[in-house]
Amino acid sequence: MYRGREGQWAFYLHRISGLGIVVFLMLHVANISSAMWGPEVSNALMKFYHQPVFQLGLLALVAGVLYHGFNGLRIILMDFTSWGVRYQRQLWYGVWVLFVVFYLPFLIRIGGNILGGGHGD
Amino acid sequence: MAIKSKRYEEARLEASTNLELYWWVFMRISGVVLVFMLIGHMWMNAVLMDLNKIDYDYVAKRLSQTTWKVYDWLILALGLLHGANGLRYVLDDWVRNPSRRFWTKVVVYGLIGFLFFLGSLSLFNHDFGVK
Repeated sequence: MYRGREGQWAFYLHRISGLGIVVFLMLHVANISSAMWGPEVSNALMKFYHQPVFQLGLLALVAGVLYHGFNGLRIILMDFTSWGVRYQRQLWYGVWVLFVVFYLPFLIRIGGNILGGGHGD
Repeated sequence: MAIKSKRYEEARLEASTNLELYWWVFMRISGVVLVFMLIGHMWMNAVLMDLNKIDYDYVAKRLSQTTWKVYDWLILALGLLHGANGLRYVLDDWVRNPSRRFWTKVVVYGLIGFLFFLGSLSLFNHDFGVK
């Protein structure tokens, strides 16, 4: 059991990001599957999702996926190595280093889009 | 009940059934696969491609290629299963009333099953008409 501090935060963030991802996944599958009803339906939905507020949502989503993924690797190291649990806090900081490295390109690309106002069509 | 152990040996002891242990193992295996597939997926569609330019034509062109059909279907199947089991852990923790927990699960699993069906149809049973 974690007693507050990093491990507890790691757990809560893992759970919240997981919930966010599964909600997005459902919307995303419904959105992409709408292609079966032809270009009109599909394009109308995509245009709806190109609004800036959803772009912000995507920035949050990418952050959630990267955190959940890297922290998941940390959990696996804790499960299957002899030293993982002892160094769980250091591993968590490692998660954040990986997070920043991978998140930057997405932040620049999607953030630039939002600020550049290139939304809509 | 969901397994709380942080080590495989302990998880094996704690698992009430073999099925619970298989889910515990599945979460780890699907997790590793999903990390890499999703980073690739997001990189292709959000960094290499301008998100705002994604429209029916772009999706149709991608999903006409067998490679991306298989790639996307793997994400769909592993992601929905990983998500469904994750939701099961959360509901077991947070919804204390047994009958409410049961019905919440019925709705959640039903929705996920429907989306798996819908997504699979669009990947393998729809002709996007792009050569």
